[in-house]
Amino acid sequence: MDFFFQLFSDPVGFWNSHTLLIAQIGINGILATSMFVVLFSGQLSLAAPGFMAVGAYTSVLMGLYWHTPLALGLVAGTLLAGVVGALVGLPVLRLRGVFLAIATIGFVEALRLGVILNLPITGEGLGLKNPSADPLGGINLILVSFVVVVFVAWRLTKGRLGHAWAAIRQDEIAALSQGIHVARYKLLAFILSAVMAGFAGGLEAHLNFFVDPGDTQYGVTRAVQILTFAVLGGSGFVLGPVVGALFITLLPWIFEAAGPYINIVSGAFLIAIIVFRPQGIVGRGGLAIIRPSWWPRARASAPSTG
Amino acid sequence: MLLRLDSVQRHFGGVHAVDGVSLEVERGAIQGLIGPNGAGKTTLVNVLTGYVPFQAGHAWVGADELTGLPAFRIAALGVARTFQNIRLFKELTAIENVLVGMHTRRRDDTLAQLATLPFFRRDQRGRLNEAHKLMDTVGLASRDVGDRPAGTLPYGDQRRLEIARALALRPRLLILDEPAAGMNPSEKHRIRELIERLNADGLTILLIDHDMRLVMGVCNRVAVLNFGRKIADGTPEEVSTDSGVIKAYLGSGGEREVRSAPGASGVDQAAEADEVAGSGRPSVEPENAILEVHGLTVSYGAITAVRGASFSVAPGEVVALIGANGAGKSTILNTLSGLLRPDYGSAMFDGLDLTAAKPSAIVRHGLVQVPEGREILARQTVLENLELATWARQSGRGAQGQIALMMKRFPILGERRDMRAGTLSGGEQQMLAIARGLLAKPRLLLLDEPSLGLAPQMVDEVFRAIEEIHADGTTILLVEQNALRALAIADRAYVIETGRIQLSGSGDDLLHNPAVRRAYLGG
Amino acid sequence: MDQQLLNAIFIGSIYALFAVGYTLVFGVLDILNLAHSAVFMLGAAVTYSLVINHGQPFWVACILGIAASGFMGLVIEHVCLRPLRRRQAPPIAALISTIGLALIIVAAIEQGQPGQFFAWLWVDGPNSVAFPPGTIPNPTWHVGDLTLEASKVAIIPISIVLMLVLGYVIRYTQVGRGLRAVAENPRAARLMGLDVDRMISLTLVISSALGGLAGILFGVALGDISPYIGRDNVEVRGLAVIVLGGMGSIPGAVVGGYLLGLIEVAALVTLGSNARGGVAFAALFLMLVLRPQGLFGAQLRERI
Repeated sequence: MDFFFQLFSDPVGFWNSHTLLIAQIGINGILATSMFVVLFSGQLSLAAPGFMAVGAYTSVLMGLYWHTPLALGLVAGTLLAGVVGALVGLPVLRLRGVFLAIATIGFVEALRLGVILNLPITGEGLGLKNPSADPLGGINLILVSFVVVVFVAWRLTKGRLGHAWAAIRQDEIAALSQGIHVARYKLLAFILSAVMAGFAGGLEAHLNFFVDPGDTQYGVTRAVQILTFAVLGGSGFVLGPVVGALFITLLPWIFEAAGPYINIVSGAFLIAIIVFRPQGIVGRGGLAIIRPSWWPRARASAPSTG
Repeated sequence: MLLRLDSVQRHFGGVHAVDGVSLEVERGAIQGLIGPNGAGKTTLVNVLTGYVPFQAGHAWVGADELTGLPAFRIAALGVARTFQNIRLFKELTAIENVLVGMHTRRRDDTLAQLATLPFFRRDQRGRLNEAHKLMDTVGLASRDVGDRPAGTLPYGDQRRLEIARALALRPRLLILDEPAAGMNPSEKHRIRELIERLNADGLTILLIDHDMRLVMGVCNRVAVLNFGRKIADGTPEEVSTDSGVIKAYLGSGGEREVRSAPGASGVDQAAEADEVAGSGRPSVEPENAILEVHGLTVSYGAITAVRGASFSVAPGEVVALIGANGAGKSTILNTLSGLLRPDYGSAMFDGLDLTAAKPSAIVRHGLVQVPEGREILARQTVLENLELATWARQSGRGAQGQIALMMKRFPILGERRDMRAGTLSGGEQQMLAIARGLLAKPRLLLLDEPSLGLAPQMVDEVFRAIEEIHADGTTILLVEQNALRALAIADRAYVIETGRIQLSGSGDDLLHNPAVRRAYLGG
Repeated sequence: MDQQLLNAIFIGSIYALFAVGYTLVFGVLDILNLAHSAVFMLGAAVTYSLVINHGQPFWVACILGIAASGFMGLVIEHVCLRPLRRRQAPPIAALISTIGLALIIVAAIEQGQPGQFFAWLWVDGPNSVAFPPGTIPNPTWHVGDLTLEASKVAIIPISIVLMLVLGYVIRYTQVGRGLRAVAENPRAARLMGLDVDRMISLTLVISSALGGLAGILFGVALGDISPYIGRDNVEVRGLAVIVLGGMGSIPGAVVGGYLLGLIEVAALVTLGSNARGGVAFAALFLMLVLRPQGLFGAQLRERI
């Protein structure tokens, strides 16, 4: 509990001693928002770690070999993630539900095990040294971009695009009958999500002097963690996944007292939350999003991103 | 000429769902499209609106060719449609559903959203006002139901909301696929008024429906499909006297089929005939009831579907529950079967408390439901369906003999024993569902809408089967929309309206009771 | 090369056995039980622990290990699935609750160290262990240039017999028809007098017992038992297997298991050990893109 006590008693000291943690929260928040965008358009995609890897390796390798500034590497990594997102998103457009989830897992693991672990340039599974990392310097960039990303996602869900996404999530066939170009909007969401994940991956790679191609970084375990952000927080509202990310990232501190049994307590806690709030921590209805703010609240209904 | 179809064709495997249909719809017309079940009406609409690709033929709306266009482009050309099985965005509110319908004529505001520019708000307000107006147009109280999730609206309102959403496209052509399906006559009447009103405002409408009376009453021209081909096309008078149409649509047979065709004029006449016969006598409740229900109240969340229903069934009786769609009939049956739990009230079946027992225990105790929509196991064979139906008998002994007996009673099931149940026709599936119910050795058989969606001659066959089962001594609780048919075979009946039992009496009494007309037919 | 082919078949058997349980639950409930790989690990860990730490005979330990796995199936149903069904939660919620349980199971084994709370269950913490030679019967034969170890060879008949039995039960018995009925239409099944909750519990028990057995076979044959064998070896590959065969299809899972074994061994031989996983997942991705219903699944068409 010292952790939370310090947050209030000595915020400056907290900031200084936990900068890395705060940076990680910001990055996980961006990843959660990336997950939100695909879920909001009705796509259960678990591809984020793949796009993170694209963003991370592009920015690190550009710095290593071409000595480009960080910003350029980040931009290039983000754009490349978007391109890969388009290439992956197009063939999987017609897949739904867990089929899409598994196909994207296939992409993630094929990229990690098949490409990253085999190319000499990415360290062949031994990892990659990143001397240009700046663990503490990136914090401002991370926090600002976190806020921008969340804001963008929030505004997008409010407009014509958001209406279309919500309609597609509810019923693709009915959405077609309203003149909505379903394939285009789904692909757009997929690419936007890829861009966000690629950007977060690039940022994250510079928190550490070593890029680790492990499962918990760019593999299924990470994908499942990001999904957990969204489902636990509630995927109906943009803040839901962000709260989920905050919560999951802080779990080790919340349950500090559990000591070595932290995972047991966390697991039990996960089950308890999902059983008692299947719709997630934040948000009652799945779709409060496209209701104008002055309109009376709709009644509760569980989100259907399943 | 607004819509023109030229030899449109679509086959699925060996099934000629649509087989060279040509059709022309004048601007400003209400064109009807009718035909028996499986005639290809919905497939034609799906081809026309881009959901199923054209195999051959062409179609134009105005000067725009529809052939080969994806569904969303066709919608953007001003062809709006509704769906036979309602497809609303269930978790979006009613108003949001209508707002989504404005997609094609809304400018892309993505950048404006990011900048949160003020003009967007004005824009949004305009659209909201329009959405409210559209809901009012179709007869929905937008201020009351506008912010309810569409999936929670009553059935009739969902149909209307779907029409409002289609209108939000500002269509040139509106295609309504069975807009009155499952509605009672008074609701049908309101749909008819709505169609006429929209048409008076200049909208061209293509109306597909089973209900002859609605189609004949409202359309300028009617086309008839049978087995994927157009067999007639003309004014309602021409079509309704066409002998080929009568044969195809009503089945070969006499007076009886015509009278019982859904919505055919016989319904009204019978109810009207005894307008003066006086109100229903107080019903006689049996003394030795096998099923006794008292003050049953059931709700789904905030919506109370059944309010204090009390009734009873004695051994050997056929008791009918009649009432309009959404009156709460199926809710009652599902509560009796243990699928739903009541808020209040009691339901005792031969010493078993149905409000607390597990569904499986209820079936074992002899209360068996044949559910609405049949719910046969489509992926298993007919034989497997029947074998599984003996589950509740505990011991497998004698089961094979019973199955053989069932196949004798319903010969069609014997012929199709190794076919997958999903490949049976609707009527055959209903027979299977009833046979399945009987194999569970019911002492009380609940039948939920056994005639729903069946062709008239199949309806006859189903009712004949029910009478036979009853003659064998099975007690039956029958839920039917087809009130005349149900009352004709029922010993006693209860009329239920908005979750309450309004009337009860013997089948004959109610058949001639003007209050039935008011309660069930809605005046 | 022949040795490699043999390896493909026996690793394929383990994949198939694991995936049959996985696909059974998906077929009946439309839910991916992500705790299945933890149950796989638990079966191996319990068996090892019973033999080495509690001095039980190997066969008794095997039976108890399978029983423990089957019991875990009941836990999955009662803790992770049934409460969510009661609340009509979307299927995605079950994904999270089973992940939570998997986390707990793995953590419990991980924390099993001498003197710790879970020492009765496991004492080797996160380390990988193997049965010492001689603790289990394992005769070895040499046929030509092939080495046949009983522990590996036995996997093949055990898996095939079990899968045949399961296939028979599902196809031809009343219980099997009941399971298929619950899978297709739980409401109809209820109205026919089936106790749907009991059928689902049964599904989970069968599935988990098979998963645990697969874990035991894996641990014995590969000499690798640790809290992470499920996660590292079968969690994601199991997904690949059931997709290759067709989600929910039992024969599909069997064929998919052997197919994945062959693909991996082929990749190993031609491209080297690192490419093994990558090729499998590329195949998974392609399969879903080209034929989402898998080898044995039925084409799904939505009615409009």
